[in-house]
Amino acid sequence: MFPRMRLHKYTWIKIIVKKLKYLQMDPKIPFQEIQQFLYAFHILKLKLQKGQVIIYQFIQQKRNNSRLMEGILKQQQELLGMDSSKYSVEFMKNGTDKQEHQVLSCQSVVKVLSPDDGRLSIVQAAQQLCRAVELKEKTSKDINVTVLDSLLRESKNIPDPDLVLKFGPVESTLGFLPWHIRLTEIISMPSHVDVSYDDLFGALQRYAMCDQRLGK
Amino acid sequence: MLRGFALVAAVAFLCRHFLSEEEDVILQPGKSTVMSWIRERELSFIERLTANILKAGPMPKHVAFIMDGNRRFAQKAHVQRQEGHSQGFEKLAETLRLCLNLGIHEVTVYAFSIENFKRSKEEVDGLMELARQKFSRLLTEHENLERHGVCIRVLGDLTLLPIDLQQLIAKAVVATKAHNKCFLNVCFAYTSRHEIANAVKEMAWGVEQGLIKPSDVSEVLLGECLYSSNSPNPDLLIRTSGEVRLSDFLLWQTSYSCLVFQSVLWPEYSFWNLCEAVLQYQLSYRSLQKAGDLHREGQALQQMEADRCCVAELLQHRGNGKPMDAQSRQKELLNYTASREERVHCFLNALQHKRDTVFSDLSSQAVVA
Repeated sequence: MFPRMRLHKYTWIKIIVKKLKYLQMDPKIPFQEIQQFLYAFHILKLKLQKGQVIIYQFIQQKRNNSRLMEGILKQQQELLGMDSSKYSVEFMKNGTDKQEHQVLSCQSVVKVLSPDDGRLSIVQAAQQLCRAVELKEKTSKDINVTVLDSLLRESKNIPDPDLVLKFGPVESTLGFLPWHIRLTEIISMPSHVDVSYDDLFGALQRYAMCDQRLGK
Repeated sequence: MLRGFALVAAVAFLCRHFLSEEEDVILQPGKSTVMSWIRERELSFIERLTANILKAGPMPKHVAFIMDGNRRFAQKAHVQRQEGHSQGFEKLAETLRLCLNLGIHEVTVYAFSIENFKRSKEEVDGLMELARQKFSRLLTEHENLERHGVCIRVLGDLTLLPIDLQQLIAKAVVATKAHNKCFLNVCFAYTSRHEIANAVKEMAWGVEQGLIKPSDVSEVLLGECLYSSNSPNPDLLIRTSGEVRLSDFLLWQTSYSCLVFQSVLWPEYSFWNLCEAVLQYQLSYRSLQKAGDLHREGQALQQMEADRCCVAELLQHRGNGKPMDAQSRQKELLNYTASREERVHCFLNALQHKRDTVFSDLSSQAVVA
C-alpha cells in the first residue's frame, strides 16, 4: 500500500511553525491549526513505526506556556479519543526536561521548543564546563565534540532529527537547534494551515529519496 | 502593473549604471589582474543590467557556499573525479569574481570537511595535492592580491592536515592578513561542531588563565571565539547539487541566515543561479531582519539579567546586612558590566594573539619552493 521508505528507527519530524504573528506579540495561539496538523500527522503516524514530533515555535518573549500545553492536550483528547494516551506533550524548559504529564504508552512524543533551546543550551553547557574547569575538575584540553555532545544530551534528551519540515515563506532555520541539525534534511512546505495528509506524505517521500553520503 | 514595474526597473538600472561610483573598484579591467583564485570575467550587457536591478534592493554582504556536486559532475561529463574537483576550483574563482561584481565582498566556502577524510586515500591525497597547488600559486600572486586587497582566511582544525600544507596555508594567511577590500574564508578540515566545541575549549582556557569567569560565558562571547570571529554572520547560504542539508557547516552562524538550496551542480554554477539566490534573499529580507533584531534584543536582555544576578550575588557575599538603595545598586551594576567588558576584551585579545602566533610560527617554518 505504501512504498517502502528508508526511515530510521526513530524518525523525528520537527515542525517549525513560522508565524510572524508571534513576533507581533499576538496572544492568540492557533490551537485549531495545531489541531488540524496533529490530526493529519496522526493519520500518517499509523503508517510509521515510531515517530516523534517536535513543534518549534518561534516565540521570543516569555509566554504563558501552560495555556498552550492545556490547549494541545485538550485537542489531543478531542481528536484522538482512545489513542490520545499514545502521545505525550512536553515543553522544553530552560535546561530541565521534566516530564510534565504521565506517559502511559510512549509511542509518540510532541515536544514544543523555542529559540532558547538552541544556542542558549549550548551556552549553558559551556558555562557548566567552564565552572568545572574553574573548580579544577576538568582541564580545557578535556573539552571536545564528544564531551559537549553528551552534556547537551544529558540536559535535553533530543536525538538529532532526521527531517525538518519547515512551514512558511521564510527561508531560514531561525535558530532551531543548531547543534542537532548538522545532517538533517530540510524540506520546505508553503504553510501549516490546512496541511493535508498527502502534503506530509509527499514530503516524507522526498526525504526517502535523499542520499546521505556522510562525507564519503 | 507590469509596465510600472518595467519603468521602475529601467530607472533603477539607469541610475545605478550612470551614478554608481562603486562599480568595479576592486578589479579594474585593462590592468594586469590575472589571479588564479579570482577569475577575469566581464559581465555581458544583460548580466550587468540584471546586476544593477538586483542592487536596487538589499544585497547580502557575506555569502557562504557549500560547493557540492563535483563528483556527480565528473560522472556526468565522463571525466575523472580529480578533474571534477579541478573544475570545481575554477568555478570558485569565477563565482568570487561574480560576487565582487554584485558588491558582495565576503565569501565563505566549504572546501573540505573533517568527514571527507573518510574518502578513499586516493581521493583525499588528490584533494590535498590540489590544495597544495592552489595555495602555492596564490603565494606567487602576492602583488596582485595586495593591489586588490584580497584577504584569505582558512577556518578549521589545520593540525589534521599534512604539515607542508599547514605551512603553505599559514604563509598565505599571514601574507594577506592586512588586506581589507574583500575577504575569502576557506573552510578546510572543518566541521561546525568541532568549531563550536573548540570555541567552548577556548573559553575554558580563558577561565584557566584567569582571564574570564564562567559567568562571563554568553552567546555573544561564544560567537567571538569561533574560527569565524573576524567575519559577520553570513546573510545568505547557498548549497548546490540539490541536497537540502547543512552537513555541519556554519550551524551557529547561519541560524538567522537565508538558506537557498539549488539543484545545479557546483561546476555548472552560473551568474543566473547566483542572481536567483540573491533574489530569494531579498524576498526573505524583511522577515529575517525582524527575527535577527528580536534575537539581538533578547541577547541584550539576557546579558543584563545575567549581570544583575552576578551583582546580586556579589553584594550578598560582600553584604553587611544593610539593604542597598536603587541608585547604589544601579551604580554597582554599571561598574560590574564595565569590568566584565574589560575582562572579555583582554581575553579576546589574548585569544587572537594565540591564534596569530600559531600561524606566524607555521609560516616562518615554511620553505617556498
